[in-house]
Amino acid sequence: MRALVIDDSRAMRRIVSSILTGLGYEVRDAGHGREGLDVLDEGWLPDLVCVDWNMPVMDGLQFVSAVRSNPAWRQVTIMMVTSESEHTQIVKALAAGAHEYVIKPFTADAIRDKLALLGLLPQEAVL
Amino acid sequence: MTTFDTGERRRSSDARPVIAELMDDATVQAIAEEAWTALVGEDELLLPMPGELPADVLSAWVDVVGPWTGSVVLTTGAQTAAELTRTLLAETAPPLLDHEDVADAFGEIANVVGGNVKASLPGPSALSLPEVGNAPAVRNPADLLRVDVLWRGQPLSISVQGALPPLPVQ
Repeated sequence: MRALVIDDSRAMRRIVSSILTGLGYEVRDAGHGREGLDVLDEGWLPDLVCVDWNMPVMDGLQFVSAVRSNPAWRQVTIMMVTSESEHTQIVKALAAGAHEYVIKPFTADAIRDKLALLGLLPQEAVL
Repeated sequence: MTTFDTGERRRSSDARPVIAELMDDATVQAIAEEAWTALVGEDELLLPMPGELPADVLSAWVDVVGPWTGSVVLTTGAQTAAELTRTLLAETAPPLLDHEDVADAFGEIANVVGGNVKASLPGPSALSLPEVGNAPAVRNPADLLRVDVLWRGQPLSISVQGALPPLPVQ
């Protein structure tokens, strides 16, 4: 399974990518929403996108809206990984088309639990 | 008939909360501890003890704009910020860290701590992207919460400080 991690922080990309790689994902990353769209435009379609909220150039909410406006990317599951823990912000992300959210700081178990809920745990992680 | 503005209406509308009315030190400490164990490592503790910051310090902060407006600022020695960066980047840390590496990692910790402080405050509020450098000045000492901790024996402070000056005394 493939995952795209989008965060302007290299440290945070490393942390999320490391968790997903450990679960068996093939992972690519991007530093903001526009770079993330470029990866999708290349034809590298992930099963899962983990995207931050606050980023320069294109933020997470704009990214979610852009992905959802393209029918070719309809199958992509999007999880917001954000420190924006206010209820209204989470509702906005879900209304725009995100499937799930994780609040920073998070643990590896929290990511794993969310993926299990979404049916996106790779076989090797389930065993 | 001449009427005079007594200032009552202006004073009441200008009333704004200071941070100590909205949260306490224990909440800031708990938010920081949670961020540390999740981002830096499960065994990484923040001990609530004051320590003297070295002369060469670095700060990372995010701004909160809303019913309460100010900054959440983390300050520590430059060497400690670099050690923190190496811990976060783990095996992906370059042999020689540059300022951008430290700004990225230290800024992300400030972002997570600040985001959770913001969530504890009355909203709606907006959160800025993190900045790293010399901390913004404390404009109103009455609108300040500061928690001093030790990480791996090195001092680090977390300040939640208002961005607005004190109101003039009427």
